[in-house]
Amino acid sequence: MIRGIYILNDTSLVYSKDYSESELTAELVRFLVSLSEFVKHVDIGEDIEHMDIGPWRLFYTKRDRFTFVALADKADDIAQINERLSQLVNVFMREFANLALTNQPLVGLDEKVDEIAVTMVKVAILGYAGVGKTTTLHLLRGETLPLIHDPTIGVSIKKLPEEVENANIVLWDLAGQSRFSILWAKMIANAQVVIIVTDSTLENVLRSKKLVSLVKEEVPDAKIIGIANKQDLPTALTAERVGQILGIPTYELVAIDISYRDRLIQIIRKAILEGKRESKSASGSSSSSASASQ
Amino acid sequence: MPAAVFILHLDEMQGFVVEKRFPSTFSLNERILNLVYYGHHEQPGQEVQLHNIDGRRIVTFGTQARPDWLACFVLSDETDFGPNKEVFAGMGRLMLELAAEDPKLVDVGEIVRRRQVIPAPSQEQRCAATFTSPSSTLVLERLEELGLERSARLAIWLRDEIHAQDVNLADAVRPLMDAEIVAVEMFQKTTEVVYLLADVFAYRAPPVEALRYAEENMPDVAEQYAQLVKEFFSPDPPAKGYNPTIPVDDPNSPIVEDRRTIAGLLTKSLLYTVIRYLRERPQTASEISQTSILPERIVNRSLWELETERVAARLDDGMWVLVTDPRIEVFMPEFVLPIVARRVSEKEIGAELGKRYLELLTEKWSESR
Repeated sequence: MIRGIYILNDTSLVYSKDYSESELTAELVRFLVSLSEFVKHVDIGEDIEHMDIGPWRLFYTKRDRFTFVALADKADDIAQINERLSQLVNVFMREFANLALTNQPLVGLDEKVDEIAVTMVKVAILGYAGVGKTTTLHLLRGETLPLIHDPTIGVSIKKLPEEVENANIVLWDLAGQSRFSILWAKMIANAQVVIIVTDSTLENVLRSKKLVSLVKEEVPDAKIIGIANKQDLPTALTAERVGQILGIPTYELVAIDISYRDRLIQIIRKAILEGKRESKSASGSSSSSASASQ
Repeated sequence: MPAAVFILHLDEMQGFVVEKRFPSTFSLNERILNLVYYGHHEQPGQEVQLHNIDGRRIVTFGTQARPDWLACFVLSDETDFGPNKEVFAGMGRLMLELAAEDPKLVDVGEIVRRRQVIPAPSQEQRCAATFTSPSSTLVLERLEELGLERSARLAIWLRDEIHAQDVNLADAVRPLMDAEIVAVEMFQKTTEVVYLLADVFAYRAPPVEALRYAEENMPDVAEQYAQLVKEFFSPDPPAKGYNPTIPVDDPNSPIVEDRRTIAGLLTKSLLYTVIRYLRERPQTASEISQTSILPERIVNRSLWELETERVAARLDDGMWVLVTDPRIEVFMPEFVLPIVARRVSEKEIGAELGKRYLELLTEKWSESR
């Protein structure tokens, strides 16, 4: 995945966006300034070059006075990152270069970068034991449901077969048993969407309120979706009632019914889009544009 | 010898990544990775642990500084855990330090075959760690003014000092306790008290041992080396050399601003390893790499960082030397005794508390130790 995007005008950083927390950001920025200085004196044309830095791969290219850098994982497909960086360069040079040259705020760049650079979205599935989290995961992946309940150990991580909003969706199915709850907070870190699955019984829904608090505290920027599963059971509370208790938008589900799959994917798509919109409006009032980063 | 070794990394997006495995044919599955990772985190604070997973004995090593990484050793039937615990910890420490730089640099098989280790943090590293946490440094400075203080009052003071409501005194005090600079104990079953047992002083010493070695065994580099050291510590007038004895409140004091730099260098295990080798004698990067077991790329990078901080320098023939030796000295804080005496006489603290403080100091600094 792309971990960060950096744009330098000569040796000053005009834009940066990190997609994962890094303790090395300050060090990296110092390095990028040196890199920009270096590429000024080396003719790399319009090619996109890359080099390995520690556990990452740094892709860079130059247009006029600007150096564009994408920090990605070594495991990433080089052609894919080249293509994304190339798209970014074109968009920037067409719509934002003049603004950057005159130190104007780069309004709208953040959302363009998100559209291009977000190659992976983490969706965490959280809930107590036996509510149907793994069944929901199987449903999303369009897989045959196992006949025997086999409790998840720790965390099970799988990709959604199709891309959503131009990004791969990585599903983190967290074990609901209490012995594994010690790492819930850690495992949901950096999730853009957290799905809280309940079995729609009053007892479970009331317990699950704790999970909502946990998510709000640990990943305040994540979109939280409630799932009122097992709606085929007579004791099930309605999705509306579950949503009222949890205080989050909640949708009904019968995870063993394949006809719910498309609906669930649409719900995730909507959450991703809403998340993007919210991060845009937040970043609009904060700093990741030209004038602030200089 | 372990039967197999792997380095596990929890990537916050991609999940479990086995960064290295030895032998390469060794197979793992998601269940084992989960049980290893969760098992290790069930006992936070214990860096080396033994787990029995699906009939396999697996030793895990992880540190609080890098919570997402584990070095894991699958024991062979004839390998005992107990007697080898420190070796596993040392090998794990080395693997994780290198993996954090670049997993490609970790030659797991070679490390295991040669039982290569980074030893547990030394006393000077533990002392240095206290200067890398601003809260710990603040607590130390406060105790230098008071000698001892009740935990509750210290927590309030710290909270006001850093303007944060959720400050955790225990986190600030832990590095000081690990370095045996402070002691914390209950007084009369009701009050928890933090006592200053030692004070620490970070400075750059002349690299005496390496200079002597060069004079006796390396005549071709000795003169240039001695000149470099002289330029730093006692240059020709009017330039002023490094003088760590200038009081810290003097604007010319090199100590305060340099303290964090020194602490930073000593706490980084890879840099510290290179410093230790240079303390012995001048060496080339390749020699350090061969004897220290660190890849030459890491040695070179460490040397460049040390050069930037004016700790190491490269001579004309590619030999690296220690120009300044970053040191942390521990000494008895006798300067607080009059302060404690005054606090007792002014009834700010009870005489029993003052007496207990003296007992603790005597215990720590008595000659029998």
